[in-house]
Amino acid sequence: MSSQNRYTVTPTVSVLAVMKGRLAGATKGHSLLKKKADALNMRFRQILRKIVETKEEMGKVMKASFFSLAQAKYSSGDFKHTVFDSVDQASVKVRASQDNVAGVKLPKFESVKEGGGAVDSKLGLIGLGSGGKQIQECRKSFMSAIDLLVELASLQTAFLTLDEAIKTTNRRVNALEHVVKPRLENTIAYIKGELDELEREEFFRLKKVQGNKKKHAEAAAAKEAEEAAAAAAQGSGTVANGSGAAGAQQQQQQGDILGVQDADIIF
Amino acid sequence: MSFGEDTWEMCLFNVKDGFLEGVVRGYKQGLLSTADYNNLCQCETLEDIKLYLTGTDYGPFLANEPSPMHTTSLVDACTRKLVADWRYLRENAGEPLGRFLDYCTYGHMIDNVVLIVTGTLHERDVQELLEKCNPLGMFDAIASLAVAQNMRDLYRLVLVDTPLAPYFSDNLTSEDLDEMNIEVMRNTLYKAYLDDFAAFVHRVGGTTGEVMGELLSFEADRRALNITLNSIGTELTRDDRRKLYANFGLLYPHGQAELAVAEDFDQIRAAMEKCPPYQAIFSRLGLGETQMLDKILYEEEVRQLINTYEQQFHYGVFYAYMRLREQEIRNIMWIAECVAQDQKSRVQDGIVFTF
Amino acid sequence: MAAPATGEGSLLAMIVDADTATGLLLTGVGQVDIRKRANFLIVDDKTSQARIEEAFKEFTSREDVAVLLINQVIAGMIRHLLDAYNKPVPAILEIPSKDAPYDPSQDSVLQRVRFMFGES
Repeated sequence: MSSQNRYTVTPTVSVLAVMKGRLAGATKGHSLLKKKADALNMRFRQILRKIVETKEEMGKVMKASFFSLAQAKYSSGDFKHTVFDSVDQASVKVRASQDNVAGVKLPKFESVKEGGGAVDSKLGLIGLGSGGKQIQECRKSFMSAIDLLVELASLQTAFLTLDEAIKTTNRRVNALEHVVKPRLENTIAYIKGELDELEREEFFRLKKVQGNKKKHAEAAAAKEAEEAAAAAAQGSGTVANGSGAAGAQQQQQQGDILGVQDADIIF
Repeated sequence: MSFGEDTWEMCLFNVKDGFLEGVVRGYKQGLLSTADYNNLCQCETLEDIKLYLTGTDYGPFLANEPSPMHTTSLVDACTRKLVADWRYLRENAGEPLGRFLDYCTYGHMIDNVVLIVTGTLHERDVQELLEKCNPLGMFDAIASLAVAQNMRDLYRLVLVDTPLAPYFSDNLTSEDLDEMNIEVMRNTLYKAYLDDFAAFVHRVGGTTGEVMGELLSFEADRRALNITLNSIGTELTRDDRRKLYANFGLLYPHGQAELAVAEDFDQIRAAMEKCPPYQAIFSRLGLGETQMLDKILYEEEVRQLINTYEQQFHYGVFYAYMRLREQEIRNIMWIAECVAQDQKSRVQDGIVFTF
Repeated sequence: MAAPATGEGSLLAMIVDADTATGLLLTGVGQVDIRKRANFLIVDDKTSQARIEEAFKEFTSREDVAVLLINQVIAGMIRHLLDAYNKPVPAILEIPSKDAPYDPSQDSVLQRVRFMFGES
């Protein structure tokens, strides 16, 4: 336990209580974040699988769409300039909404067709003279491709957002586990150590005081005894001698109890 | 009387147009044969197709195409061949053949004018627009259209500078240019053009009138059919629809009246089947197979076009050559698309064999 | 982080070749506003790399764009920008073009996906 890896605090009982509270908080937070990370990870895996699937499907759908474009071109010649010049206001748009996974907001896209996807008047008559049917087929085909692309876009955005969120969460989990918690534990241990140290000092001081008192008492007793002896010699010192001895005995007993109690811890 | 006319035609045709008829029949020999198509279908890449086409009449036009090939560049190169042939014919043509050849290209000209008009509306670059134009439909004054600042100017310029002036002045006003749906405009012009063309070949008369009359009425009927088919479920009203039908053809006028009110494919079919030649076409079409209709119509057209070569001393062969070459380019495009997109199983669906 | 969930919705932007553009615009995703600002760039042989990069930067910074579709071939030309791009919105999608079928191994995002998928 290195003494650097702890908070600089005054080792008091109240600070100890605060630190213990913080440790409990950190432990709780850690387990919660861990759960969140698991939830995110699960969603992440789902999305990954779906992205791979959808991308492959997209490849197929686009291929079919391009082929229908070739069919349309076959029937009605080159109509692309007409299409390019007919562009005005977008009738197919993307609506963004949010999906909530364990507190992470995932943007979600949805394609919206104005007028319920009805044929736009400007584009509806393309190829009127020839091949219009094929062009409409092609349009439908690309429409489904757009739907798929938008779905894919939303998956991909979710992927990137989740990726970021998971990284942050993992960073927090790791920070709690490897930095905050050990540091709190160290601090608590340090405070406990300091408190014990203080206690030992206190005990030693008491011991010392007791020793001093004893010495004084003995000295006093000796003096008294001397005096008593002197008095006995004089014939009147018995009572005083008895009371002095009793007091000394009492103190001796107290010291013993302390000594016995703490013997295993301190010495 | 008619014998006399025919005899004169036979005597005098070669004086003016015999050389070009020979040339165009020579060109026709250069069209790809069934064997060529079969070989093309075996190609694995666009490079293979290019290599094979280098051995045909397209050779000189493909030689300088850089690799890698794209379908569009392939088609462009093939179109250049047709344009080169056509220019040669046009430069050597006397009257009225020259006029006839011009008439053949008016269809493309309509497309080009419409392209320029919409492009100008969207303030696009003139040079860019001219590049996109179909080279067959070019005329000298086309670039001047793009200097127009507003619709009124544009309308005036179209009237002054294009051969299409009568079609515009008779059918459209300057307001229409701004408001009318571009496809409706295109088809209105096309209708006027077909009527005019039919009148022209009638004036030329003789075998030309006969052969071309047949071809044009098929074209008119096909357009009527397509317009009907493609306008189902759109905002185009019955009256609008009727206005776009040409004023001749086998369906005119009773079949067209029926087409004008048709609301679904079966009604169209019923209307078309009253006309014996089209009954034969529709009988080849299974139920619900609208997809194949385009191809069947192309096939029918090709059959008629080839028949024009059975007769001599008429202008129909020139028209037929252009149409056949265009169909061939379409075929090549289809094969190239199938090859490029790895859909070779579908390749047979789009080829209309010519010879 | 997320695009504002506005009622009228955001746009799809496109940097694509002519064929892809034809198909996509046919569906009605195209928009040209009053200032002639389009939400798509049609790339052909003559389009310079600088123009593509500029369009990419414009579309990714426009607020009304939620998704940017880009042909994989074109994406390959500006790969450095794509790799450096890390905003979730607008989402960038690489799509196949007519002449080049979809190749998952080139996709910036899918590469990451595959890496993690293989790992997990």
